[in-house]
Amino acid sequence: MRTKAKYVAFFVVPAFALVAIFVVYPVARTVVLSFLDSDGKFVGLQNYIRVLLSREILNLEGLSRGFPLGALVHNLLWIAIHLPLTLALGLVLAVLLRNVRGGAVIKSIIFLGMVMPMIVGGVMINFIFDRNLGIFNAFLKIFGIPAKSWTAYPDSALLALIFGSVWLWVGFSTVLYSAGLETIPKDLYEAAQLDGASALKIFTKITIPMLRPITIVVVTMTLLWELKVFDIVYVATMGGPGGASNVLALQMYTYAFRAMDFNRSAVVAVLLTMSTLLVSLPLLRTLRDDRT
Amino acid sequence: MSRLLVAVVLLLATVLSAVTLTVIGPWAGPEMEKFMPVLQEFEKQTGIKIEYKIYRAEDLANLLPAQFAAKKAPGDVIFMWASFIREYGQKGHILTLNGVLDETKFLPGALDAVKVGDKLYGAAYTGKVKPGFWYRKSFFAKHGLTPPTTWNEFVELLEKIKKIPQIKAPIASGDGVGWPLSDVTEHFLISFGGPELQLDLIEGNIRWDSNLVMKGMNKLVSLLKNKYFGEPTEWTLVLKQWWNGDYALYFMGSWITGMVDDPDDLGVFALPGANGVVFGADYAFVPKYTQYPEEAKKLIAWLCGPEGQALQVKQGGHIATAVGIDLSIYPPVDREVAKIIQGVTALPDLDDSIGGEFQPTFWDQLKLLWVAPERLNDVIRTLQEKAPKK
Repeated sequence: MRTKAKYVAFFVVPAFALVAIFVVYPVARTVVLSFLDSDGKFVGLQNYIRVLLSREILNLEGLSRGFPLGALVHNLLWIAIHLPLTLALGLVLAVLLRNVRGGAVIKSIIFLGMVMPMIVGGVMINFIFDRNLGIFNAFLKIFGIPAKSWTAYPDSALLALIFGSVWLWVGFSTVLYSAGLETIPKDLYEAAQLDGASALKIFTKITIPMLRPITIVVVTMTLLWELKVFDIVYVATMGGPGGASNVLALQMYTYAFRAMDFNRSAVVAVLLTMSTLLVSLPLLRTLRDDRT
Repeated sequence: MSRLLVAVVLLLATVLSAVTLTVIGPWAGPEMEKFMPVLQEFEKQTGIKIEYKIYRAEDLANLLPAQFAAKKAPGDVIFMWASFIREYGQKGHILTLNGVLDETKFLPGALDAVKVGDKLYGAAYTGKVKPGFWYRKSFFAKHGLTPPTTWNEFVELLEKIKKIPQIKAPIASGDGVGWPLSDVTEHFLISFGGPELQLDLIEGNIRWDSNLVMKGMNKLVSLLKNKYFGEPTEWTLVLKQWWNGDYALYFMGSWITGMVDDPDDLGVFALPGANGVVFGADYAFVPKYTQYPEEAKKLIAWLCGPEGQALQVKQGGHIATAVGIDLSIYPPVDREVAKIIQGVTALPDLDDSIGGEFQPTFWDQLKLLWVAPERLNDVIRTLQEKAPKK
């Protein structure tokens, strides 16, 4: 028994030590930093108030003047547009490509956006929406819409990034939903067809409910990605023009490495961590329920 | 057998003890090709090997603080912004170069940007001037255009160019991280606010919403509103478009002479009335954490001395900061640049000198101004928030 305990300790202690050094300590240190000023003095919630009241994070004037609205609102917009589009497109593509010859190849092509480094994705988004080189403007030209560099204008920069990232991320939801569809028993569909259920009824009453666990995973992972989105924005617009496409993770970086203000940066990091924890809870709960 | 062993050991010792210095600079492509002969000459003269690595200053600004905190440095001689060298020199991460460089052998004020009190933290290599708007002489000749001598003539010229078929806009707007837009903005501020304005903005002696600043900014905005400037496009891409005739004018530094097919076809004019010009020297420093401090100091002294600088200006696109460089060494087009800057005040770059959070904010706000000039007041307010204050 004692030998077994020794073995357990032998394998567990290094892992715990690594987690403590490289995860727990930095997290705790970041939380502490968020309550200190640059001289290391405790300032309570002062940093939080300063960050939340700054125009970079929340710009209420933007409601009447247009972008920028602040990084926090931009992240929320990212979630509000990107999440439903990714879910819906992923599901539709998975269903449509299920019984199509060559569906696997098409799905692989769609998934390419996902396996591509996001830095490259950001560069490609810039090209897609470029005035001279962009495929988006070539498409709009058919309808007589004048070309412009969509990422260069405050009213379209964020939307261009969001729609561009749908293209990058939809492969993820498509592949997961495709795998999920394979797990739904065929006899459920056969029974519904025998009962005379329409295709829409089958989709809404069988496919969607049976894909619930997959949907939770896709929603959670997508939300986490949307909250911490950084690379695409950094490469494509650097949060501009005039902060019109700024996001929380980029603002955290700006505070830390441009303003050298690690306290304000820690505040954004804590807010982001809390948000991601909140988002992860449903997934953790579902996984626990599935296990029990 | 033992002799062979001794020979092998000696050979190994020689190989292992050979000094290789790492130089980090921002130049890539044609600019790098013109820098390499200078480094190779140093290698030839001293036997010290040099490895050149390309890093943009914007990336170094993120990388170096973390490296310094870990008491490391990615290179032995690093080219970087003067504001950064000053800041990290004072923090003790950079070796002083007092005694390494003879300050009297540099143009007056050339080393001021990297000095704090008596301590010299960096060296000025060659510099680049941002003299004004570049044009192709052949394009101007073909369309019967002449460089303006007054503001009204300048606006008339832009209007004439706008009417030329196939022209996207009279002036090309370089985009990227943001400095091409800040360079042209600084030229307007200097032209309409005077050279002192640039220095006052750097020191935080004057507000961004002051009349003097607004005078220059309003002139710029009037051109933006009339669509005389093109949409911001990646600066090397728009350089090619300008060269091919999509645009007639392009505001750029003197390094442009090394980036075009035929430098002899280049002409340049400043905004009428400009009596100051930004002279951006390339500054280099030796980090405290170099393995080879003596060799690195030797290299920086040679590079920034008359021999290194002469070799560099000979390649084109560079102006020496060292005194005593024979003008005949310069390629003809650089001599033209040298003529423009005669009799005007040489000024440091605004955003490079301020650095920190202001620099990316300045670049980003100008990107906004370029596409939404009606938001000038928003831009000015944001710049004032981030600007240095006395």
